[in-house]
Amino acid sequence: MNTQPSILHVENLGKRFGGLAAVDELSFGVKEHEIFAIIGPNGAGKTTTLNLLSGLLTPTTGTITLKGQRIDRLPSFERTHLGLGRAFQVVQPFPEMTVRENVQVGALFGTPGIDRAEAERRADEAIERTGLAAFAERDAEDLTLLQEKRLEIARALATSPEVLLLDEVMAGLRPGEARQAVQLVRDVRDTGVTIVFIEHVMPVVRDLADRVLVMDHGRFLAEGSYAEVTANPSVIEAYLGREDDDEEAPQ
Amino acid sequence: MKLLRDLLPIAAFALFLWFLPDLLRAFAGRASVSYLSLVTNGVGLAILALSWDILARTGQLSLAHAAFYGTGAYVTAIMARHLDLPLWIGIPAGGLVAVILALGVGAVTLRLRGIYFAIATLAFTEVLKSVFRHLPTPFAGGAAGINVEPLFRPVFDAATMERWEIAFFRNEGYFLLYALLLIITILLSLMTRRSRLRQAFTAIRTNEEVAAIMGVHPARMKLLAFALSSFAVGMLGAVHAHRVGSVVPEGSFSVETTVLALVTPIFGGLYTTLGPIVGAGMLAGIEETLKRNLADGYLIGYGVVLILSILFLPKGLVGTTRAWWSRRQSKSMDTAEEGSA
Amino acid sequence: MDPSLILQAIVSGVLASGLYALVSVGLALAIGVIGIVNFAHGEFFMIGAFLTYTLFVVFGIDPVLAVLFVAPALFLLGAVLYRSTIQHVLSAPELNQMLLTFGIGIVLQNLALLIWGGDPVSIAGIEYRSVGYRFAGISVGLVSLVSFAVSLALVIGLNLALTRTRLGRAMRAVAQNRTGAALVGLEVNRVYLVAFALSALLAGIGGVMIAVIQSPTPTIGLAFTLKAFSITVLAGLGNIRGILAASLVVALSESLVATLVPNGGTLSNAVFFAIIFLALVWRSRRTV
Repeated sequence: MNTQPSILHVENLGKRFGGLAAVDELSFGVKEHEIFAIIGPNGAGKTTTLNLLSGLLTPTTGTITLKGQRIDRLPSFERTHLGLGRAFQVVQPFPEMTVRENVQVGALFGTPGIDRAEAERRADEAIERTGLAAFAERDAEDLTLLQEKRLEIARALATSPEVLLLDEVMAGLRPGEARQAVQLVRDVRDTGVTIVFIEHVMPVVRDLADRVLVMDHGRFLAEGSYAEVTANPSVIEAYLGREDDDEEAPQ
Repeated sequence: MKLLRDLLPIAAFALFLWFLPDLLRAFAGRASVSYLSLVTNGVGLAILALSWDILARTGQLSLAHAAFYGTGAYVTAIMARHLDLPLWIGIPAGGLVAVILALGVGAVTLRLRGIYFAIATLAFTEVLKSVFRHLPTPFAGGAAGINVEPLFRPVFDAATMERWEIAFFRNEGYFLLYALLLIITILLSLMTRRSRLRQAFTAIRTNEEVAAIMGVHPARMKLLAFALSSFAVGMLGAVHAHRVGSVVPEGSFSVETTVLALVTPIFGGLYTTLGPIVGAGMLAGIEETLKRNLADGYLIGYGVVLILSILFLPKGLVGTTRAWWSRRQSKSMDTAEEGSA
Repeated sequence: MDPSLILQAIVSGVLASGLYALVSVGLALAIGVIGIVNFAHGEFFMIGAFLTYTLFVVFGIDPVLAVLFVAPALFLLGAVLYRSTIQHVLSAPELNQMLLTFGIGIVLQNLALLIWGGDPVSIAGIEYRSVGYRFAGISVGLVSLVSFAVSLALVIGLNLALTRTRLGRAMRAVAQNRTGAALVGLEVNRVYLVAFALSALLAGIGGVMIAVIQSPTPTIGLAFTLKAFSITVLAGLGNIRGILAASLVVALSESLVATLVPNGGTLSNAVFFAIIFLALVWRSRRTV
């Protein structure tokens, strides 16, 4: 059992939109080098949590700590500079640039004070790692879905993150492609990156996750190994639905 | 070296501009005065277009271009009237004050996007216009504005020169000054095409949040774009004030300037350096005809160009041409591969 | 400061708010249903005013009757514009849409300048223009009263139409969920067309009224577009009551500034723009 301290720690995190609490009293820790999954029914607040971690939203309550440093008041780009990376669910490649140039953006700006040559080296490395080498010179807008996702991860990797947040990477992938994506995530972790990912596809969670956090209605529901949480009766109940399953809760 | 490759055509262009007045005089004789005026307007339009384009690269479609233009104009006018300094100092001063103003506006509107940003910048321009109109009359002339001394008073011998030659020499100075500003603006535009800035600007334009996640500092980049953009157009406003001889709130801050500044690069091709220049070249010629025939409503031509560009040429002339060209390239490469397979 | 002056300013402001609400509601319709912010909206208003003027000066048609011509004319103009241009940029980036409507606005404004020149035009010689009432030291023009009543009626009528008629419900459905509505079989494009044409019509009717109240120039369009936009933003989308309230706020502040501040007439426009600017900036800082 991994007894190292958390590299990413969330304490009493909360986010209110008007009268609605999208995330409420959430606390968890992610250990270094682990693959940590966040799951939960629709509207559980998973993406909101990720947005709070990346700095796209400001928490109403609570703290976020990265490598012992508080980041919850920092703008997104500073969190990236400190080692928190993110790959988005819907990929938006930068237009009029090749795949390589897209990845270079992450390399150039992800680490402050980096020089051009080193940035290009890191970009190439990220391209290698994500299997994009064959498409590096292609126009970034000219890619298949799987290639786009590789690009997104490569871009995020180029920022040299220590913790990488992934938002539903499997969405839209065919089974063969999903297998490749799973392998990619494992490869990324093996280079020393801690991974936190949101996923709906359970077999992927089972294969990848070292630990799983279950959220429901913005709150902590359960935490543990995949086997543990899937055996948890309250988790089962949350997924199977309650009387008034309100699907319109905010993301 | 890549830098040299870019600078060489600019140097050649600068030389061409330097000799253009002489060429015009030699070939067009009497008519060269109006040709010179036309070319000067074209250069001015190019500066407007290039500077607006710089700001557009970060996704900030500003309707405040006239505000910085007018500020530059008023700065030089006020300085000329109240300070005992060489006239030309008003030009860089106008540029600098425009930059300070732009940084202020830019900082305050950082979180505004799309149409909200556009409307805020438009509102800002109107407020600024009103501010200048209501400044104490002895200071800034109120609604009637103030006269501005010309920069060039060529000494000429009435006996040996014809009338048109005198007018020509008077205008030649302004043309060369405009040309200098154009070269400066081209260099600024090219600067934003250098890799680091270009990638940062494009990233912000595509999606500011994703760009921030990539580590780009959105505020710094957007303000930088504002500064570069306003510096050029501020100086243009200042030179124009001397050329025209007066500054007036309605005229110096007119939305017409903003319309010219945005239609030209959209027509020519946004996010390129060549596009605004090509657009200016073509539109300046049309503008002359429009102004002569349609007087008050000549902007309608620009409106039509804008509509047609959005509908049929969303990448502008240069952008569409380049895209077509690269498609032809890749097609010929494919056929070449097939041929050799 | 004479209290009756303030009272007068308030009354004038309230009466003016009707017209603002009418113009804003049209814009809100375009934004809410089609999703497009029409930079040229104020130009429909301006064209309505100038058509009224021309009908009066050339054909001797009284403005009250002129509405019968102006309303369908503007409806047609809106429909034609939608079909020929706007329909094609519905799926384009929002900025393209903005620039397109901006271009349309420029064309319309300058077309008007070409046709009518840049000077203010006024409909002189109509008796009811000078009819007014006085009570408690306040004077109220008949025209202002009527335009307020008509505007209010139209705004409320529109609200009813949106909730009670089939077309209205179709518009609301499309506004909320474009794909869903299409799946259910609603001909989305036709709904858009009607919504846009309707927004032009409403603005045009407002123009008829302004032609009688003031002496418009072809350049008033842009200012009204901005006013309508600010009111719509202040009110929040899809909120008719909000639009009435916001129109009141804008009209009142204009009226009070014009009355109370020395040189207020020329300043009131600038004050209005300053308010828009500050409101937009302040609003942006509050999000997230």
